[in-house]
Amino acid sequence: MATPALKVTNLRKVYRRGNVAVEDLSLTVEEGDFFGFLGPNGAGKSTTIHCVTGIANPTSGTIEIFGLDAVKNYREARRLVGLCPQEFNVDPFAKPADIVSWAGGYFGMGAAELKSRVNYLMEQFELTPHLKKTFRELSGGLKRRVVLARALVHDPKLIILDEPTAGVDVELRRVLWNYLTEINQDGRTILLTSHYLEEVERLCRDIAIVARGRIVRQGTKDEMAGTPGSLEHAYLVATGAEADHVAGQ
Amino acid sequence: MSVPDLKPMGVNWVGLGTIVRRDVQRMLRVPIQVFIAPWSSALLFIFVFGYVLGGTMRTIGGHKYIEFVMPGVLMMNIITAAFLQSSSAIYFSRFMRFVEEMLVAPLSYLEMVVGSLTTVVVRATVTGLGILILGLGFCATTIESWPLFVFWIVAVSIIFGLAGILVGLWSKSFEQLNMPVVFFLTPLSMLGGSFFTMKMLPDWLHWMLWANPFFYFINGIRGAMIGVDEAPQGLSIALTLLMIAALGGLVWRLFSRGYGLRE
Repeated sequence: MATPALKVTNLRKVYRRGNVAVEDLSLTVEEGDFFGFLGPNGAGKSTTIHCVTGIANPTSGTIEIFGLDAVKNYREARRLVGLCPQEFNVDPFAKPADIVSWAGGYFGMGAAELKSRVNYLMEQFELTPHLKKTFRELSGGLKRRVVLARALVHDPKLIILDEPTAGVDVELRRVLWNYLTEINQDGRTILLTSHYLEEVERLCRDIAIVARGRIVRQGTKDEMAGTPGSLEHAYLVATGAEADHVAGQ
Repeated sequence: MSVPDLKPMGVNWVGLGTIVRRDVQRMLRVPIQVFIAPWSSALLFIFVFGYVLGGTMRTIGGHKYIEFVMPGVLMMNIITAAFLQSSSAIYFSRFMRFVEEMLVAPLSYLEMVVGSLTTVVVRATVTGLGILILGLGFCATTIESWPLFVFWIVAVSIIFGLAGILVGLWSKSFEQLNMPVVFFLTPLSMLGGSFFTMKMLPDWLHWMLWANPFFYFINGIRGAMIGVDEAPQGLSIALTLLMIAALGGLVWRLFSRGYGLRE
């Protein structure tokens, strides 16, 4: 059996003041999958992603990336992951090419390879006309492109996208969808969180729904969308929002 | 797609070099603040203590007053440069959250700390050399021992680079970030013998110098520059190395716990 791209087992994350962000979460993403990770705000999606990528320390549980322990073998494991975070965690006074180039450098890319990769990504995301601007001078959509280019600079095998199309216009959203589909078809594994269910329905093959720090439903897109109604109905039922809605009426 | 090369990584030299390149690029965005300000301040000291007050002061150990003061002025600027470089770099990267760029990368804690300290040493060395050139140009100083001079610049910048990292990790506001400069760095360097000798103090106040770590740094570089020292160089060097080890151990421990960095 092939090694999963990501295997999270009994993950628990408790913040300092006792706030339990992730209760007991287990998840497997197979290599080559386009995986949708859904849930309401505060459900534990971003915290799970932070634990996987090293931004947060897990309280307990294990995380394996292509079979490598993400804590014990963190250096090797992180080489395989690219993260596009929900928020813009970028030096606002830096220029797009520098931001992407520094990220590639952190991943150990040599100068010639890095230069060619940065040029390719600047072209790919139509950032070339904006190279002289600082990050803070870019529009929201352009900022999102820079952060996505940064996540992809080292050509990771597992790409984690935390709400990558939030606040992005329709045109860029379609460009991103096409690009993500293309790199997924090339064999990259993608884990996507999004509040746009049509985006998840369009892109993802497998879906997990998280609520209150646990996976409450997991299956293929067809299984989810096959429930009465649609993916939206499955989502509302799984997260308990449907019952709340009915009770409210 | 097959799982790629999973051999254990050695030292991430390229990553370490990138940390230095990024910090130097960021530093050069504000050259007036980083270099021109300390050089201007040194020029003012040379003018005031060399030409305005200098003639009215007696010599100390056969040296003009400006020659006695210059090592202290140089050391104060190195301390400030080193502290501000690391504290502001780490605080700003936490505040704007771009420290996460490094946290998600295959960088060890040691590589992050060494990368940060390398930039600190670069900034402090350029600052110090600039002041030295000004001092030599205006005949306000000399160099007795180049190896000792380099040792004191590098060692003191590492100490205050480490102290800056600690403050940058601890601070939760810009006010907290500036507190050590106001309450520790400025008073301790002023009272550390920059402008006076131990003999100028009454006997009962000598403890004030012996208990002040800045005294050993200023004393050390003064010995390297004009050959006048009030404490043995060996003692000053031993205490300095001890401080590097203690602060380095503390920074290492905090980094490995993710204090102020990881959620």
